[in-house]
Amino acid sequence: MMSQNQRLRQAITTSQLYRSIFRHDYVDSLRNRALEVTSNIFLHLHPVTIPRHALSVRFTFCLGGLTFFLFLVETITGLLLMFYYRPVPDYAYIDMKTLEYAAQFGVVLRNLHRWGAHLMVVTVMLHMLRVFLTGSYRPPREFNWVVGVSLLVMTLLLSFTGYLLPWDQLAFWAVTVGTNMAAATPFIGAEGPFHEVLGAQPLNDVRFLLLGDMKVGSNALLRFYVLHCVGLPLFAIVAMMVHFWRVRKDGGISRPL
Amino acid sequence: MDSTEVASAPEAAKAPPAGSRAGAPERSASSAAATVFPDLVYKEFLAALLVSILLLVWALAINAPLLPEANPGKTENPAKAPWYFVGLQELLVYFDPWIAGVGIPTLIIVGLMAIPYIDTSHNATGRYTLGERRLAIGHFLFGFALWWVLIVIGEFLRGPNWQIYWPWQSWLVPKSAEEKLWSFPWWLGLPLLAAYFGIGLWLPRRRWPWLYERLGKSRYASAILFTLLLYSVPIKIFLRLLLRVKYVLVTPWFNI
Amino acid sequence: MESTDRVQKLLELTRRELVSRGLAISGWSTFAAVLGTGGLETVRFFYPRVVYQPPSTFRIGPADGFAPNGDDSDAFGVLLVDDRWKSQSRFVVVRERNRIYALSARCAHLGCTVNWFNDLRIFKCPCHGSEYHSNGVNFAGPAPRPLDRLRITVNLDGQLVVDTSVTYGPDRFDIDGAFVSV
Repeated sequence: MMSQNQRLRQAITTSQLYRSIFRHDYVDSLRNRALEVTSNIFLHLHPVTIPRHALSVRFTFCLGGLTFFLFLVETITGLLLMFYYRPVPDYAYIDMKTLEYAAQFGVVLRNLHRWGAHLMVVTVMLHMLRVFLTGSYRPPREFNWVVGVSLLVMTLLLSFTGYLLPWDQLAFWAVTVGTNMAAATPFIGAEGPFHEVLGAQPLNDVRFLLLGDMKVGSNALLRFYVLHCVGLPLFAIVAMMVHFWRVRKDGGISRPL
Repeated sequence: MDSTEVASAPEAAKAPPAGSRAGAPERSASSAAATVFPDLVYKEFLAALLVSILLLVWALAINAPLLPEANPGKTENPAKAPWYFVGLQELLVYFDPWIAGVGIPTLIIVGLMAIPYIDTSHNATGRYTLGERRLAIGHFLFGFALWWVLIVIGEFLRGPNWQIYWPWQSWLVPKSAEEKLWSFPWWLGLPLLAAYFGIGLWLPRRRWPWLYERLGKSRYASAILFTLLLYSVPIKIFLRLLLRVKYVLVTPWFNI
Repeated sequence: MESTDRVQKLLELTRRELVSRGLAISGWSTFAAVLGTGGLETVRFFYPRVVYQPPSTFRIGPADGFAPNGDDSDAFGVLLVDDRWKSQSRFVVVRERNRIYALSARCAHLGCTVNWFNDLRIFKCPCHGSEYHSNGVNFAGPAPRPLDRLRITVNLDGQLVVDTSVTYGPDRFDIDGAFVSV
């Protein structure tokens, strides 16, 4: 005798709608487990089977996966924040206040975005530590380590560009100091050593390239906004695609020989 | 085939949750392999769930900082970079901006990327071990710890005018002006730097010949150079703190 | 030896081979040139020809408005440091016995705004702890040089005018425009 629940489940899992989405049966069989992964674009990032060793939480601590998860969190919360934000000095700070006082859970959304970014910096650093401690950067995984380092750099750049957007004192001065360091770059920074060799001046040096001006102002805010919301995420997504793909192509996550 | 599987659905549903190790008798092909769905996927799901809870509680409990609107005429005192860059900001006390803000970050990135091309051995891959890779792990952990120590100093011990304030000291009490700094003259600084890198390159080869033999010329040189550069950072910090040295080397074009 | 071999090989090419090789070389060089110019022009795209900035000249009143209370100068010959314009316009006015000049309040290290501490007679930078004497000369912290001085002139009304867009480094502290004699 089938119970009510079982009949309902069968009705759902044999329906045309269900089968059009999942393309395989509900039964727990090795074949269906394989199909669940290979016929699902989100899961097919994974292989069908992995060595049991790779399941150990105390080996990976899920740090790489969590970094990716936090990237998704940042994408979603960031997208929502964009609905209330205008990257112009006259409006940016007011929009932060609007978000705080006039939008439902706006301040929580901003908190999620900010703290999620902090957490992501932590997880990506710890992920690097984990990969180093387990010697997982060694051949044949050298290149993927390089891609990983560039993803770490991109995480930091994403955080840094996002830091300016609230247009408060914290943002303004942190970015003023940060971009003034760029002006100290040898040869291409107006205040760096050997700046006279190429004729670097405040009007044409690398800081001007970043800020679109000689100081942090409306051009800088717009540039950081575009980089934060579109430019850097695009680069990061491409680098992540390479990173994840190479994890599999280089033989899955490392294991003792 | 299809129809029998559909018919057996209720039995499968009665089986223990698909993630448990006892379940899924089909998985007999190799005991060392696990199916990703659901063995891995449920762990990923749980991890994401736990982090979501943590993040949500954090976001509900603590508000992200928002200071007064940006004002170019009034610098916050102290003006701190985001915490992950506070380590670099702390280095600005000891190094010129082109070293602290450009040179050191570039060297960190290039050095990190170079690691797998220097250490190409295969021993102890894929597991945690300290004893078998004492050198590599020791240096890496030193650098990693240095980064965090600098962050902690900059974030928690630096007060107004970027001076050291212990947590129990009030920021309202102004600290007196720093005493005068001095620099090594070039005839002292240049030989010292040359000796540091010269002896640094020569001594390990003399002391551990196998290291040179295993790595070869260029790998050995880059490994040692990156390590020497790593340790030069705390050395410069201590020179500054103990001997009040501003620059180790003064040239007309740049100072180190 | 090797170079004559190369020449020999070139001479042995058929016309078809020569044409195809020439086409390949010119084609790929054009490709590289277009890519290179495109990249360069993309960089130049990020340097706008015009940036809009607020006016950079400030009238700060007649010179006798900077008369010190007493006649006591500090160890650097400075009678008075006036930071009234610091928060709005980022400069301070310094009165020595025989001259008045304007110091940029932009720290010579990384561009934070320095603060004047009248009781200590020093400028301090809140960002990285650089410190300057009352005359703007650095003595502690990471600052590599003294505070910049700004162009200061007397207009026809006898008013002092500070132009924050013209700065003078230490080697030009004594030239005309870097100070006003009183």
